[in-house]
Amino acid sequence: MITRRSFIKSSSIVGGGLIVGLGVFNACKDKDRLTGGILNSLNSKKGISIGDFVCLQKDGTVFINLCKHEMGQGVSSGLTAILAEELDANWKKVRIVYADPIAGISNSTGGSTSTLDQWDELRKAGAFIRNLLLAAAAQHWGVDKMDCQAENSFIYLKNSRKKIEYGELVDKITLSETLEEPQFKKKDAYKLIGKSFPNKIIPDIITGRHPYGIDVRLPDMKYAAIERCPVFKGTLVRYDATEALAISGVEKVVEIKGKVLDGNTHIRSGLAVIANSTWAAFQGKRALIIEWNYGEKEKIKHEDFVASAFHKLAHEDGREALNVGETPKMQKTDSTFSQTYEFPYQHHACMEPLNATAIYTNNSCEIWTGTQSATYVMAKIEEHMGIPKENIKINCYPSGGGFGLRYWASYALEAVLVSKASGGDLIKMCYTREDDIKCDYLNSYEFNKHTVLIRNDKPISWSLKAAIDNWGAVLGWLYYDISHKYVEEVRINGFTQASAWRSVMANAEGFSTECFIDELAEKLNQDPLDFRLKLLEKDIMVDFNHTYTCNIKRLRNVLKLVSEKGNWGKKMKENSGQGIAVYPYMHGNGYGACIAEVSVSDKKIVIDKITIAIECGLIINPDFVKKQMEGGVIWALSAMFYGGTEYKNGEVLRSNFHDNKVLRIHEIPEIEVHLCESDENRPWGVGEIAPPVTYPAVCNAIYAATKKRIRKLPLEKSMLQ
Amino acid sequence: MAKIQLFVNNKTRVIDVEPTMPLLWVLRDVIGLTATKYGCGIGQCGACTVMIDGQTIRSCSYLAIDAYQKNIITLEGISDDDFHPVQQAWIDEQVPQCGYCQNGQIMNAIALLEDNSNPTDQEIKEHMAGVICRCGTYPRILKAIKRAANQ
Ligand code: FES
Ligand code: FES
Repeated sequence: MITRRSFIKSSSIVGGGLIVGLGVFNACKDKDRLTGGILNSLNSKKGISIGDFVCLQKDGTVFINLCKHEMGQGVSSGLTAILAEELDANWKKVRIVYADPIAGISNSTGGSTSTLDQWDELRKAGAFIRNLLLAAAAQHWGVDKMDCQAENSFIYLKNSRKKIEYGELVDKITLSETLEEPQFKKKDAYKLIGKSFPNKIIPDIITGRHPYGIDVRLPDMKYAAIERCPVFKGTLVRYDATEALAISGVEKVVEIKGKVLDGNTHIRSGLAVIANSTWAAFQGKRALIIEWNYGEKEKIKHEDFVASAFHKLAHEDGREALNVGETPKMQKTDSTFSQTYEFPYQHHACMEPLNATAIYTNNSCEIWTGTQSATYVMAKIEEHMGIPKENIKINCYPSGGGFGLRYWASYALEAVLVSKASGGDLIKMCYTREDDIKCDYLNSYEFNKHTVLIRNDKPISWSLKAAIDNWGAVLGWLYYDISHKYVEEVRINGFTQASAWRSVMANAEGFSTECFIDELAEKLNQDPLDFRLKLLEKDIMVDFNHTYTCNIKRLRNVLKLVSEKGNWGKKMKENSGQGIAVYPYMHGNGYGACIAEVSVSDKKIVIDKITIAIECGLIINPDFVKKQMEGGVIWALSAMFYGGTEYKNGEVLRSNFHDNKVLRIHEIPEIEVHLCESDENRPWGVGEIAPPVTYPAVCNAIYAATKKRIRKLPLEKSMLQ
Repeated sequence: MAKIQLFVNNKTRVIDVEPTMPLLWVLRDVIGLTATKYGCGIGQCGACTVMIDGQTIRSCSYLAIDAYQKNIITLEGISDDDFHPVQQAWIDEQVPQCGYCQNGQIMNAIALLEDNSNPTDQEIKEHMAGVICRCGTYPRILKAIKRAANQ
């Protein structure tokens, strides 16, 4: 919570510019960072900085230091618009800075939470600065502040022709103890929010100027690539670098010791080649002769892994994740219905391969990289290398896709380790695409067993038992109105490292839950839509022991919308069918629903059309939301058609885009996105809403077309059986 | 090492290169033109597309020495001041998400429209199938190419 006291307490004068630390911006607790950041260097004599976060220059330009990671989801413009709206700034004069992260600020980016996390902070920052400007103008004109009005980067004196530009007020701003709590604008006064304003980063992207981490170029920079043990937790036994060092351009080969730091950060054993170009480093890597000890992971066979999952689902008591309502006593006429679904490994394959540039000197380091969590990177470097946080500087860059992979610290840490091992070279370490695929943190393999108890043709108890690979935890978002619900989880030991993959466990659970409900509806002779609506009849909030409670009205509304827009129940051609699904994504408290139309001939599945709807509360930019939904659908279809991975002796067999395929332009269906009206007065998550509903809608449509149930992805694994 | 002369975006560059080095890395690491992206290194994704004498090539799989005395145009060089009509269409349709693949998308779209000023959906799809977008901007690429064709 921001209080007036916290505005004042942390305000200070630094280097000729006025720095105001907002209590909400924890940055201000850390005075070194506060004074050392890029905005302050921009500012020094030219403007006013608000806690290393917003800088208003004398020429009227407003710089905002982006606290979330831009990886294609549009946060840089979306978040900036929230600030600009409350500030009443001219949108054209607002510029985004990808600066060093502000220590302590919530700059981890995931769970579709950026906008909802920063909604209040950004509005407060905007309104606070607007207030300062209004007060400055009022004082300048010798009038009451109430007679002044802010609009489009000007303060106007009401009932007169007087106006003054924001930039001209910079020198006139003073802080006094009488500052008021800022008042927020009313929804109907919004000029930017709710409009499809253009994304600010697009002009830079299309001219090649958008600054990705991989494009960093610094004086005396060298290039590095690491040959990592292909098997997770394997170790280096011996190596011969003679041939690698003979390659022109290759300068050094250094060893990187493997270490599993935590469930999300694993440094693989490896050898780093340092060279004068990326190409030479890649060539050097190929010329290394290495003997590895693959270790225990080599022994895991997929058949055994699957068998252990089914065994545990049948025989092992799991960790309880949810238990609501009374367990009904089984009666003679009751029956049970149960099905198990399997969601496979998935590769991230972000278009920009992982990379980081780093220099290590004397127990300190500086890093240039795109990361979804700079604070996490700092923590892991401190933990592993003993470099104190205050000696770590990270320059944040936007990235060419994150999808959860850039949440973790390995690649940034590797770059610092390489620099240190090389004796302090400034190096840009880049993964080859093959490294990126083979050493990926895969989506956790997950099995979901759903069981219902049926009495008088109604489900009265619903349980979900999940078997999950090495990362994550069952979500257990069982939203249908069934009086008893039980969720538990058992763990299975997969062959490699697993981690966050866009929509995380909601991929497996959206798929399993909505396919299961479809099967249940059929078993009870009900229309899939009617059956769902009946179980979502009440306007209740359902608690899953999660940060947010599930708003059934919002869920029902989005389902209804998609059923209308997608023409549910329309007559379909032979061998084609419609499927429907709805799912809440509670990490971001956004709700999705989908209708798929597919046709199938000779086991070849064609997705003809996807109609998808989202209820994400107040919408900052409708076009951004639509784009995330389009991308999310295509993401899910890639996973359905080409997902999974193959492995042998602990090694991922896929290596590049020829064997880890993703959807290409000629394979996409028609996609129609609808935005559901909402009573919410704040924005909720968007980026991960589409995939969890796309899988089951498509599978249910395949069933409608073929009478074949899909309980396992990717599709070919099911369709060919 | 071989000293070669390249014409990049209408500038003459004389550089020392390894005879085995693909043009991609010469552009990115030696010359410092980073709009051309590394995505796969094996001709699968299209992120590294540049034009040589008016034809698109995958610069990851094209030796720099083979570009000797040829005319190379990268994304940085497709227009001087204003946006190229394809870039403008990209803005109008708000195509990019992360943007990393967009060099490939734009270069290939320009090449398509130079050959065929009014492509059908099918022709667009066939021509653009070689360029991967992991963010899923394909629906907008289709629209933007049609928009550019109409202008
Ligand atoms: S990097 Fe050249 S085609 Fe992918
Ligand atoms: S826009 Fe991200 S890969 Fe295409």
